[in-house]
Parts: sequence; structure tokens; C-alpha cells
Amino acid sequence: MSAIESARQTLLILLPEVLILLSAMAMMTAGAFVKVPRRTWSIASAATLVVALLALVLLRNQVTDPYGSVALNDAMSGYGRMFFLLTGLLVLAMAHNQVDDARAPEFFGSLLFINAGAMLVTSANELVFLFVGLELVSIPTYLLLYLSRRTASTQEAATKYFFLSLFSSGLLLFGMAYLYGMVGVSNLKALSYLAQVSMTLPSVPHPILGLIAVVFIVAGLGFRVAAVPFHFYAPDVYQGSPTILAALLAWVPKGIGFIALLRTVTAVIPTDTAPPTNNLTQQAAVLCWIVAAVTMTLGNTVALSQTNLKRLFAYSSIAHAGYLMIGITVALRNGPSLAGITLGSESVLFYLVSYALMTLGVFAVIIGLSTPERSVETVDDLAGLAKSHPILALAMATCLFSLAGIPPLAGFLGKANLFFAAFSAAPSSDARMYQSLAVIGVVNSAIGAYYYLKIVVAMYFREPVGKPLTPALAWPTATAIGACSTLTVLLGLWAQPIYSASRASAEALVLHPEPVALLVSTEHDRAETEAELQKSNNAAREAAALQGFQFAPKGYSRP
Amino acid sequence: MALLLVLTVLLPLVGSLTLFARPQLPTRSARALALGFAGATMGLSLLLLLAFRPEQVGPQFSFVDEAGKLGLAWLPKYGIRFALGLDGISLWLYLLTSLLMITSVFASWESVEERAPAHYGLLLALQAGLLGLFSSLDVVLFYICFEFTLIPLFFLIGLYGGPDRRRASVTIFLYTLAGSLLTLIGVVALVAVHYQHTSPNVLTFSIPELTEGLRNLSWPEWTQPVAWGDWRLGRSFWTTPQVLIFLLLFAGFATKVALFPFHSWLPLSYVEAPTAGSILLAGVMLKVGSYGFLRFNMAMTPMGAQALYPLVATLAVIGILYGALAALAQADLKRLVAYSSLSHTGFIVLGLFCLNATGIDGAVIQMFNHGLTTGALFACVGMIQERYHTRDMAELGGLWNRLPSWAFFLILAAMGSAALPGLNGFVGEFPILLGMFRTDRTLAVFATLGMILGAYPLLLMIQKVVFGPLKEPGVYGDDPGRSLGGIRPLGWHEIAGLTPLMVLIVLIGIHPKPFLDRIQPPLRPIVAQFMKIQSAAVAGQGPAIPSPIAAAPAASAVVVH
Repeated sequence: MSAIESARQTLLILLPEVLILLSAMAMMTAGAFVKVPRRTWSIASAATLVVALLALVLLRNQVTDPYGSVALNDAMSGYGRMFFLLTGLLVLAMAHNQVDDARAPEFFGSLLFINAGAMLVTSANELVFLFVGLELVSIPTYLLLYLSRRTASTQEAATKYFFLSLFSSGLLLFGMAYLYGMVGVSNLKALSYLAQVSMTLPSVPHPILGLIAVVFIVAGLGFRVAAVPFHFYAPDVYQGSPTILAALLAWVPKGIGFIALLRTVTAVIPTDTAPPTNNLTQQAAVLCWIVAAVTMTLGNTVALSQTNLKRLFAYSSIAHAGYLMIGITVALRNGPSLAGITLGSESVLFYLVSYALMTLGVFAVIIGLSTPERSVETVDDLAGLAKSHPILALAMATCLFSLAGIPPLAGFLGKANLFFAAFSAAPSSDARMYQSLAVIGVVNSAIGAYYYLKIVVAMYFREPVGKPLTPALAWPTATAIGACSTLTVLLGLWAQPIYSASRASAEALVLHPEPVALLVSTEHDRAETEAELQKSNNAAREAAALQGFQFAPKGYSRP
Repeated sequence: MALLLVLTVLLPLVGSLTLFARPQLPTRSARALALGFAGATMGLSLLLLLAFRPEQVGPQFSFVDEAGKLGLAWLPKYGIRFALGLDGISLWLYLLTSLLMITSVFASWESVEERAPAHYGLLLALQAGLLGLFSSLDVVLFYICFEFTLIPLFFLIGLYGGPDRRRASVTIFLYTLAGSLLTLIGVVALVAVHYQHTSPNVLTFSIPELTEGLRNLSWPEWTQPVAWGDWRLGRSFWTTPQVLIFLLLFAGFATKVALFPFHSWLPLSYVEAPTAGSILLAGVMLKVGSYGFLRFNMAMTPMGAQALYPLVATLAVIGILYGALAALAQADLKRLVAYSSLSHTGFIVLGLFCLNATGIDGAVIQMFNHGLTTGALFACVGMIQERYHTRDMAELGGLWNRLPSWAFFLILAAMGSAALPGLNGFVGEFPILLGMFRTDRTLAVFATLGMILGAYPLLLMIQKVVFGPLKEPGVYGDDPGRSLGGIRPLGWHEIAGLTPLMVLIVLIGIHPKPFLDRIQPPLRPIVAQFMKIQSAAVAGQGPAIPSPIAAAPAASAVVVH
């Protein structure tokens, strides 16, 4: 496949992102010259997202060469991008009246950029491209944080986020460089394929490079998902920024962080060797085990004493990052049948869906209740909500129970899935390690239930304090609240579609076909076969070289 | 009939949603609607009882597809199915739920006036969860119902409970959630063990299939015999698969059944809950724990049960004695009944962990009995509270003169609970003690002591409250308008709520056969399992062979080895 053809295909499958980016740029440019009300900008953004969604659906059968293009349109990319678009619409619905007219074009433009960035990460098949996607999310986020309000606390939050985010990007790039150095390509599918081959070779250059790569990538992405020890910013930033940005930060970076982890770590490091002979897998799993255990324990225990809602949900989101890390840990444990990696990735993806719904639902209720005169900041502000606004209280309670993992809601199935994945690992020396992680997760869920329950208790069993809440609920916000809470219930009762989608995505993640279809027929003579083999084994590298990245041939030869 | 069973579960759910959807409904129509739904559910449950075939071992009234799988596909990818069915064990608990629901509705007939639709809606939602729980044949469905019951109960206590209701609701929620999450891990472990050690790997969540599959598992570690003494000898005891999974499962069920060190949520919740909540909580929710013990701990990890029974039985006996002594010290009627109920729950657990046919039979029928008597006692206490606005025994006395029919109900229920021969408690507790004497004499002696001790607070209560000269509180707190003579006699609804319970208390006492006939068949394979393990242990032979148990006499197992 020629480079031109490959580029054409790639651009075609990236059409939705291109559309969004063009629209965002147009909005931001036009914003400087045209004065139109906020409403117009939000409608334009929504229309862009809908058009992108349509484009995505129309292009669903378009494929690209996995070793030749920077983006993929596999199941993971298709479902993932679709989900980011849908949640993007939800966020937009929540955000539609959260900004004044003057800043509206930049605000909505940034939201679109973030959406496009998240989608690029989901479809990325190339280290650099993935990094670009991540930055396309980060940079507009800085803008949004600065844009919102010019108070000292907002400034502090924005600065904190800015510097730590830059730092984490540096860590991530460092890790990616080592990943590249390990085998010499930056195409993720090729990387994955070559990593399998090279790890089983006696002349492996330096498997330790893989370990460094894993450590730094986990660290860099650990910041985005707010995993310990890179979680410090979350409570301050959430509390300091407007609720809509807290909602955005609680969902988008976490979503792309985990997808990037799946794309760069679990799908890449060797899968077809048993744990005892492959130290890299085991060491990476131990690393993630520790991160998972510490993250969820810290998130849950610290959340217990929070009274500020945004701080509480910041710690809650840290805790959920910990649960999700269970899935990553399991995905690193690769059995001969790849059961670990598919089950692990699948449970992470399913949990992300339920997490997005319940978290956005909670924030949507808070946004819906807040008015400039009476903002909802603490748990006490929600006291007596069931009496004054029974429907909103019900929606909130649904999302909270789901976050606590009570059946029959989505959050329960998500957690059950993670625990099941942890237990499904074949019995071996380290099976106990995964089982103990599940037990830690369970104990944490029980601890976590307390602070969610605290809010339910306030809403249902307490009398209102202070000024009464008088929200003027706009219909888009109401729709977002309704969609999140209803889907949380529906997903708990009938999860089959999301199960199938996450299974298909998980399978697509680990799929790395032979670089060139090898159809060695009997007519071929030996020399021809040899030549073909040689060609095919180099195809991945050549394909990568076409992208302009030099292939480092040292340390790699055909066995 | 399969459809009928599903309808029975869904009917209360429909009722609850109807009531939630119309929060402005006047109290009269709300309670009538609730009674209608509860009555219809009871009617359907009775139809199921009539259609029940007593001799069948496996579950009845379930959908079966072409492949012989029970239930309807729900999450086909994992083989999780919407499978409902009843066997002799669950049948009675199922009926108990329907019956006590009617009592609960009648008990809140006059007392709940504020936000009545939501109150009845929560009750019906709780009932739906409990019915689903007892009839589910799929572990995921079971677990979902198991946890779901917490939500209505949480709101029931938190919204309609006593003065300390907020703390009570949070306490019961967190306690039981913490326990049941560990149970979830245990259940997941069971499924995973079954999946990994069957060939070809069978992923099933069906309770009957799991029970059968785990019984015949070809994994040496699984069937390796363990004994309580092992851990002192430094052998791997706590990490043996069956022991480990037993403990995980145990955590949740022991909390639900309020076994001795896990009981601290109970007095608070019982006392703070509204009358209807206490009836369902003590009458039915508690049985969820013992039902789980039987279905999971004993049927699926028999080696673990055999190894740990001394521990569990000891805790049960401590609970019996502790509950009885604590009940003696109470001045509050509801607290007294709560502790006495705790004491009698100990007998259920004790009976199960006799690990022989006599004890387990007794335990299963005692689950039903305990629900009847405790439900009736809480209903009686509720009636007093509604009339006098106090439950302090020091302020009450000689109520026979004021409320003779109430006194009759109270005495009958208390006697049934105290295991007076001829009433239902005796039918349950006597075999339990008998079974325990066969398993462990010392514990049996203490349990018998507990039985006598357990009767004492109840008799004391009757003596103080029912007999003697009439003594009534002069002030009614927030209800000063009512004069002393205005204490109304029992209304038709109160009598209607209690009468069926009384009839059953007497009926089981004098003619338990129809009940036992239906209970025993499904217990047979469970008991046979233990007989085999025990005879293998007695003969000092190797591990019990993992062969089909169904008809294998215990002796042959010994010969094979």
C-alpha cells in the first residue's frame, strides 16, 4: 500500500475529528470579530458534534493498514470515538449556560478541541500521534481553566494544573521514547508485533528499556487519570474551578488516560509468553498493582472526611481511577489464551462507560441546582433536596448509588466485571496477587459507600439549611441529568450492548495481524518463500519508515 | 407456572412503581392499593404452593430452554440468566415474605400518615427484592436482589424510623454492604473455580449447576479434607480454597443473619425502624443470611463448612446466650423483642451447622417459624406504641384488661417463640438441639441453657405487660387529646394481619409434616455430602472422592479408599 493511499485512508477515517477541529478553529477565529449570543455558539458546537457523529457512523466500515497509518478505525476506535462524541454532547448540554456571551466562542471552541483530542487518542496508532491527541486535550483545558473566572483560587487551580500537566507530558514522552527505543518503531501495532517477536529472541537488545518505558508511561498517564502519586492536583483544581470544568476534568482525562494506557502498555508489552519467563510483564503488573491498591485506598479514605462536594468528587474520582487500575493490572497478566488481557481491557472499557454516566450525572445535578445567587458547594447545600426537588434528588441518588456500586445499577456491573476479571486469571503462583487486589477493591467499595451515602442522607433525611435552592433548570441540563440517570439504571438492567462493544474493542486492541498476508502456496519455491518471509518481517518497519520515522535495525534480525 | 412465578416477583415491583409515581395519593387509597398488591402477590404465592410438587429435589416453576438451561438469557455473553425457581427450601421463605408483607401493610395501616404512598412503595420494593432473592437460581440475580433490598430498607428506616433513624439507616447500610461485598468476591471465586477446573471450561452462574459442578470438581486441592485442628498443627488451613471461599461468603451472610460479633447493627436498626420495617427486617431479611449459608456455604463449600463448623456453632451459641441475657436487661419492649429475636436466630445458624439431617431440617423450618413469631411480636409492639406512644415496660401493665385480643396474640406469639411444645418454635428448636447433641455435646448443653434463658425475658415481658393490675401512661406525649378510655381496641386490620400468623404458629406446632415433607427433599443431597465427608474423616481415610453424591451411601465412599 502506497504512502499516499495510506494517508488518504487515514484522513478519511479521521474525518470526524477534522470536522470538529475545523469548526473549533472557525469559532475561535470568528469569535474575535462577530458578536453573537452564547446560544448561537452552543448550537454550532452541538451541530458540529452531531455532524461528526454522522460522519463516524458513515465511515464505520472504512479500514486502514494497521502498520501503515497513524490512526485506526477498529472496534476500539469506532466505539470509543462514538462514546466520546456522545459524552461530549452531554458535557455541552451541561455547559451551555455556564459561560457569559463574551467568552462563549473560546469556551465552546475549547470544548470541541478537547473532544477532538479525546477522539484522536482513541483512534491513535502511533506514539507521536497519541501524544498530539493528549496535548490537544490538555492545552484547551488550560485555556478553559484560565478563562472561567479570574479569582485567586481559579488562578491557583489553573497554574497548578498547567505545571503538573506539563511535567506529566514530559514523563510520558520520556517513556514513549524508551518504548520506541526498545524495538525501533513508533507505530503501535508494529511495536506490539515486534515486541512479541523480539522478546522471544535470544538477542533481545534490552528488555529493561521496556520496563523504563512502562514506568514512565504509567507515571505520565497516571497524572491524567489522577492516580496516586500524581493525584495531588485533583482536589484543589476541582474545587478551584467551576463545576462544569470539574465535570470535564473528572471524565475526559480519565477516559483518554485509560485508553492510552490500554493502547500503549497493555496492548504492547509481550503477550504470548508465560509470566515466569517474562519479567517485564510481571514487573509492570506489580507496579500497576501497587498503584491500584494505593490509589483506591487513599481516594476512598480521604474522601470520607470531605464536606465540599467538588473535593469529595475529586477524591471519589481518584478512588475510581484505582478501581480502573485493577483492570489494567489484570490486562497485564497475559495467559497463553490472552484471557487476561481481553478480560482486563474489557472490564476497564465497561467501567469507563458506567463511570462517565454516573459522574457526569452527579455533576449535571450540581450544575442544574446552582444559581449565581445560591451555589451548591457543600454537602449541606443539598440538605432536604428530596423535599424541594424530588426528581433531581432521585436522579442524584441513582448516580450516587451507582457510584457506590449498588445493584442493579451500572456501577455495580462495572465493579463486578473488574473483580471477575481479577479472579478469572488462571491459577498460578501469582493468582493470589490478583485475588487480593479484588479483595482490596471490595473493602474500598464498602468504605466508599459511606461518603456517597452521606449525600443521600443529606438529601433525603435532613431538613434544608440556608437559603432555599431555586434552580432555573434549562432543558439541555435537564436532558443531560435525565439521560445520565436513566442510562445508569438501564445499563445495569440490560448491559448486553455495552458488553459486546467493550468485548469487541478489547479484542481489537490486542489484534496485531501478520504484517503482510502470507499465502505461501505449494508452487512457491524455497527462495521465493524466503524472500517473502524476509519482506513480511520487515514490512512493519518499512511501513513505519514510510511515516518518516527512522527504523533502528540494530539488535534485530530474523531468527 | 414459570410465568406465574415471574409475575409474583414483578407484581410488587409494579405496585411500588405505581405508588412512587403518585406521591400525592391520599393515605387511604395508598394503603388500599398496597394491600391490593400484597394480597394479589399472596394469592399467587398460594397458587404456587398448591402447584408445588413436594417430592422434587430440584427447583420448580422455572423456564427451561432447549439446551436444558434454566431461565431466560439475560447477559448471554457471560451466560448470566434471568432464572427463577423455587425448591422446598426457598418455597417457605417465599411464602413467609408474602405473608409478612400483608402483616406489614396492616401494621402501618393507621400509624403511617405522612408520605404514605412512598412508605408503601418502599415496602413493596423491599418485598419484590426479597421474593426475587429467594427465587433466583442465578448467582448474579441473587446478588443483585441481595443488595437491592438495602435501598428500600435504607429509605424506610431513614424516612419513617424513630428518633435516631439517620444513624440507624446508615449503620445498617454500611454494615451489610461491607459484608455482602466480600460475599460477592466469594461468589465470583466460586464461579471462577468452577470455570477453571471443569473441562471444557464451563462458565456458569446458575446456582444448581454450580452446586452440582463444584461437588464433582476434579481439583485435588478443592476436595482435600481440612479439619478445625489443622491450623494449630501449622498446616495450611486458612488458605485452603474451600476455607477461604467459605470465609468470604460467610462475611456477608453472617452480617445479614446478625451472628454474634457481626450483630451490632441489629438492635439499633430494629428499634429505629418503623413497625413494618422491623417486621420485614426481623421476619424475612434475617433469613437471607441463613438462606445464603445453606445455599452457598454449605451446598457449595461443604469442606469449608465441615472444617469451620466448631467456630460458627460456637459463635451461634454465644449469640443465643448473649441475646437472651441482653433481652433480660431491657426496659423497652421493642429492644427486648429485638434481642430475643437475636437469640433465637442463633438457633437457626446452630441448626445449620449441626451438619446432619436432623439439625438442618430443624433450622430450615425454624427460619419460617422465627419469621412468624418475630413478625407477630414486632407487630404487637407496634400496636402498643401506636396507642400509648411509649414502649417502656415500666409504664405499662395489666393490658389484658384493656386489650384482651392483643394480649392473646402477644402471649401466643411469645410462647411460640419460646418454643413451648405444641407450638411452632418447639418443632424447630428441638430437632436443632437434638442434632447438635449428635455433633457437639458441650455446645448443645449451652444451647439448651440458652433455650431456657431465652424464654425467660419473654415470660417476664408477659408478666409485666399483660398481667397484673392495669397500668397505663397518663400522658401521651404529642397526642394529648386522647383520654385514657379512648384507647381503641384492636381494629379489623390488626386482627386480620395477625390471625394468619397465629394459625400457622399453632398449625406447625401440631402438624409440621406438610412443611417438612417439602423441605426435606432438596436438603438430601446437601446432607449426603456431609455424611460422606464425615464418614471419610472418621475412617481416617484419604480425601472424599469427588464422585456423584446423589445416591452413594456413605459406606461405599470409605470402601473405595
